[in-house]
Parts: sequence; C-alpha cells; structure tokens
Amino acid sequence: MTRSDAVMIEARGVEKWYPNGFHALRGVDLTVEQGEVVVIMGPSGSGKSTFLRTFNALEDFQKGSISVDGITLSDDLRHIDAIRREVGMVFQQFNLFPHLTVLQNLTLAPVLVRKLPKAEVQRRALDLLERVGIAEQAHKYPGQLSGGQQQRVAIARSLCMEPRILLFDEPTSALDPEMVQEVLEVMQALARDGMTMVVVTHEVRFARQVAHRVVLMDAGVVVESAPPEQFFTDPQHERSRQFLSQIS
Amino acid sequence: MAPVSPVMVRPGPWQRLRRELFASRVDGLISIGLIGGLVAVGLGLAKWVLVQAQWTVISANSTLFAVGRYPLEQQWRLWLLTTLLALATGLSWGLLRALPRSGASARAWPRNDRWAVAILVVLALWRPMALQLALPIQLRWWAITGLLLLARWAAGRWGAAIPASARRWMPLIWPLLYLLGMVLISGGLGLVRVAPSDWGGLLLTLLMATFSILLCFPLGVLLALGRRSNLPLLRWGSVLYIEFVRGAPLITLLFLGQNILGFLLPGGLAPDRVWRAAWVLTFFAAAYVAEAVRSGLAAIPAGQLEAARSLGLPMPQALIHVVLPQALRVALPATVGQFISLLQDTTLLSLIGLLDLLGTARTVMANPAYLGRNAEVYLVLAVLFWCCCAALGLGSRALETRLNPTAPSNVTPSR
Ligand SMILES: Nc1ncnc2c1ncn2[C@@H]1O[C@H](COP(=O)(O)OP(=O)(O)OP(=O)(O)O)[C@@H](O)[C@H]1O
Ligand SMILES: [Mg+2]
Repeated sequence: MTRSDAVMIEARGVEKWYPNGFHALRGVDLTVEQGEVVVIMGPSGSGKSTFLRTFNALEDFQKGSISVDGITLSDDLRHIDAIRREVGMVFQQFNLFPHLTVLQNLTLAPVLVRKLPKAEVQRRALDLLERVGIAEQAHKYPGQLSGGQQQRVAIARSLCMEPRILLFDEPTSALDPEMVQEVLEVMQALARDGMTMVVVTHEVRFARQVAHRVVLMDAGVVVESAPPEQFFTDPQHERSRQFLSQIS
Repeated sequence: MAPVSPVMVRPGPWQRLRRELFASRVDGLISIGLIGGLVAVGLGLAKWVLVQAQWTVISANSTLFAVGRYPLEQQWRLWLLTTLLALATGLSWGLLRALPRSGASARAWPRNDRWAVAILVVLALWRPMALQLALPIQLRWWAITGLLLLARWAAGRWGAAIPASARRWMPLIWPLLYLLGMVLISGGLGLVRVAPSDWGGLLLTLLMATFSILLCFPLGVLLALGRRSNLPLLRWGSVLYIEFVRGAPLITLLFLGQNILGFLLPGGLAPDRVWRAAWVLTFFAAAYVAEAVRSGLAAIPAGQLEAARSLGLPMPQALIHVVLPQALRVALPATVGQFISLLQDTTLLSLIGLLDLLGTARTVMANPAYLGRNAEVYLVLAVLFWCCCAALGLGSRALETRLNPTAPSNVTPSR
C-alpha cells in the first residue's frame, strides 16, 4: 500500500446549521492522508452524509475550515470547481444519468470539464468498465442494468475524471444482498491501488479488511477514531461500545 | 352456444365486439342506444354536409381563407415556400424512418406511414376539386404532394447511406427554412415588401402560432429555471411574471400590448399591430410553458444535479446536459398541450382587428352575399384547427417514444 504523509483532507472544527436551524455538525475534526481509507460509521441522523458532502461543497458549513488536496474550501466558485474535479463521489442511489448510455455517462464530464479528446476519453472509459467488470454493457442504458452493475458504473464514472480522492456515501445500502459483494470488491481493489477513500458504510467486514481507520460519529461530532482492529475489539468510549452492540 | 373450450383461441373482431359491447343485457341496451344515437347524428351531419350546406362561401373565398389579402402578383413566393416545406417534410419523414432509434421498426413503410400517405393522396386529389380551384392550381397541389412523397421515398431509401457527420446537421434545415420563409413572406433581400397588415387567413394564423411557439419555449425554460434559482431577485422576478401573466385573461393582455408594447420593446421590434400581437402571444404562452417545464424539473431527483456537480460540471453545463434533457422529456406532453392552446388562442387576434382565420371568416360572413352561411364557415374552421392540433399531438407522441431511452430492449444508441 502506498501511504505517504501528505494530507489530502483536513477538516477543523466544522459546524453546520441547516436552513431550518438544525445544528447538524457540531465541531468535527478529521484528517485524511494520501492513500488512506477512512470508514465513517454512526447511527442514522448523526451527520455522516452531511459531513461527507461538505468535502466537495455539496453542503456548505458555517464555522471551521476544510481544505482538500491543498485547496481551501471557501465561497470562491473557482475553488469549488477545482475541488470537485479532484474529488469523486459515489452515491447510495447511484445517480447515473438515465438518458445517456453507460459509456456516455463516463465520458460526459471528462470531455466537458477536462476538455480531453473524445476518442481518448472513450478508450479510458472502456478500460475502466473492463476493470469494474462490465465492459460488455457499455452501450446499454443504466435502466437496463442491475443495481450492482449500476453502482459499479457509478464508480467507473467517478474514476474517469481521474480524481485524487473518492467519497462513498453508503454505496451498498440500496443493493440487494447478493450484489453487495461485487461492489465491495471493486472498492477493495481501488484501496489496494492506493486511492484515498472516505467511505460511509455499515459493512463491518469491509471496514475491518480494508479501512486504515474507522471513525464513529454521533450527534454531529466525532466520538472515536481508531484503527479497525482496536475500534471493533477495544473501543475507548462508552458511545462506541453502545453502537457496536447495536449493529452486531 | 357451445361451451367455451379451455384452450382459448384469439377472438376475432366480431367476437371481441360482441364481448365488449353486449356482455350483459344492460350493456347491450346501452350499446344499442349509443350506437343508435351516433348513427343518427352521423347521418344528420352527412346529410347537411352533402345536401343542405352551400359550400360556395368556402370555394369562392378560398384564397382569402388561405392567405388573406396577400398581393396576387407576389403569391408565387408562398407557392415556393409551400414547395420547400413539402420537400423538407418529406425528407425529414423519410430520414426518421430510415434511421429508427430502436432496430425494431426499420421497415421502409410501416403501417402508420401507409395510412398517412393514403390520407395525403386523398386530400390532394379531393380538396382542390372540392374547392373548385382552377386547373393550374389543382395541378400545383398535386405536384407539391407528389414532391413530398418522392422526397419521403428517396430519403427512406437512401437516408441510411448519409454519413453520420453530415446527418447531425440535417435538423438545421428547419430553422434555416423558417428564416427563409420569413423573408419570402415579408420581403426584403431584393423582394418587394409585403406589409404584415396584408397577411391574413391561415397564413397569418400559422405564422403567429409558429413564431410564438418557437420563442415562448426557450423563454419558458428560462423562466422555469429562474423560478427555481437560488438568486432571490431572479426567483421573485420569475414568480411575479408567471403569476401576473397567468392571472390575466389573454384578451386584456392583447389590448394592453397594442397600447404599451411600443414603449417596452426597443424600436423596430414591434413596429405594427401584427408583431405586437405576436409578442404578447409569446410572452403569454411563456408563462404557461414555464409552469409545464417546472413540473418537469420537479420530477428529476436532486441527486441528478448533485452527481453532475460532483463530477465538476459547472451549473450551466449540468443543466444543459443532465437536468434539462430529462426534465423537458417529462414536460413534453404538457408543453405541447400549451402549444395547442396557443394555436387556438390565435383566434383572439380577430378581436383586436387582425385578419387571422377567424377574422377573415368574420369579414366573409359579413358579406350580404353569404348571409346565413355561418355554419359552413365555422365547420371548416373547426376542421382546420382540429387538423393542426392533431398534427401537433401526433408529433409530440412520436417524439416522446423516440426520446425514451430505456423502453426498448437491445437499444443501439444513435451515435
Ligand atoms: N436539508 C436538511 N434540512 C434540515 N435538516 C436536515 C437536512 N438534511 C439532513 N438533516 C438532518 O441532519 C441530520 C444529519 O443528517 P445526515 O443525512 O447527515 O445523517 P446520516 O448520518 O447520513 O444518517 P443516515 O445514516 O440515515 O444516512 C439528521 O438529523 C437530519 O434530519
Ligand atoms: Mg446518510
């Protein structure tokens, strides 16, 4: 594994209020290093998605600071666009573009945003589809694929932008049980290749085998942050023990 | 009756009719009553159309109904335009058939098309004669119809051989033809000017309708986007506009427009009554189109925009490439519904003194020579409008199936 000490994500004292006044993040700190795989766990409503989505400015925040790959998140739109080019995101509901073919889903952003020649992007897209094991579906529409296939397309779509960081928000929660494994395997392979990943998931096995660090969030704060072995066998905080007893 | 065997044979049309109309005694009575009523009305109408009605009011004024007081010596321009339109229609029709989106219906002449051709031929043969047009004019209509069918046949036959790179530019013939049509109708570029006050009848109605439809659509999309924008000024501006226009009857806006549009629009854009009315129609319909598009936008999950944005697409590109293509497809039926209303609303132009179809009809009926011929005139008007609206509806249905990405299995994408 290629881990270096370069910091990819640095969040300090992040606080967020939703427009209705709900205090969703109450001072969250997190540092993610290059090549690191961080799994975020926590009960429903604890602010995991909200936190993850601040990294690529899908959610704003009111206090604290976040910098991604050396770029400080601010209201400056150029910064936001620059960060989004480097940060890929995979959603629980896949969010593939249903009116485009699988191949077009992959090539849309690189051609429009990175201004790369179409032929070159198509070649890379087909390579990526090969890597996630669905090259033969390139000319189908998303609606014609199974859930697991769709999520693998979504991962390939993110990779096609050649991001330096990948964010996953419960990527397997909307899948039938028999399709979970095929998606997790793709993610595991990415981790092995040294991709920096922040993954919100309830898959304990994935966290144990792949994560370098597991973070527990509760009520808008980070409760515990520890290597998986320690997190699952010897948690330091009462809240973590409670959470682990609930999910096992 | 013999007992029904468990192995069901597909019922013939007669059996099906029997099952659907005469399932029980009550059903049978209702069916007989309805059929009897329909037959009576149909016979009455046929008798009136064929025996009692006097169609000279139409045939003697057919040019007036078609183009109003468009100068006779300039009418060749309209013939040329009609010919070009027929050519473009035939080409587009044939190309659509030659390059179907799903491989399923790659037949050269599907059944629908054979019906359309039959109807066209019957119309071309019968209508000019029914109107007692002069022979040269009859011949012209036949030639134009023949040209349309020839273009349809040729494009259907060889369309697939056109290279994809050239094919992508084909739809451009329509906007080009529209601009050319504008020049042909109104003059300029060396042609004698024909003032808008001389346009009339079907020509004026179609011109107003197409102009407003073409412009109100992009305007409506922008308004719908504005209404969902995060910028308060833009949002409230759009809301205010949409609600104001939807709250006012079109006829008051038309009168208002005649009086104030001259101040609002930069000089030259709305110089005379016809163009002022066209702009009012456009602005009016835009508000309704905006509401149709808004419902389409609301139907697209927020995750689509989020996914596009998280891939680094700036907002305009995310809208153009991801959100709008889906939203407009959802909004298509409602939008075309608005277009159909717009077409019918053009009849209000007669109330502000323009000689559209209805306005022309009223001048004709005011002529003492045609006293009491109102029914004939209105029937023809109704049929004409019905034909235009039906064409719009059919076009929208065809477009809808063509734009549906997932319905057919084993789809081969167009590019
Ligand atoms: N748009 C919003 N407006 C107001 N409150 C919101 C909004 N979105 C989320 N919240 C609230 O913020 C809190 C955190 O939500 P978030 O989606 O981040 O939780 P989560 O940890 O991802 O939960 P889950 O496991 O259910 O996905 C929740 O209590 C939720 O009700
Ligand atoms: Mg969540």
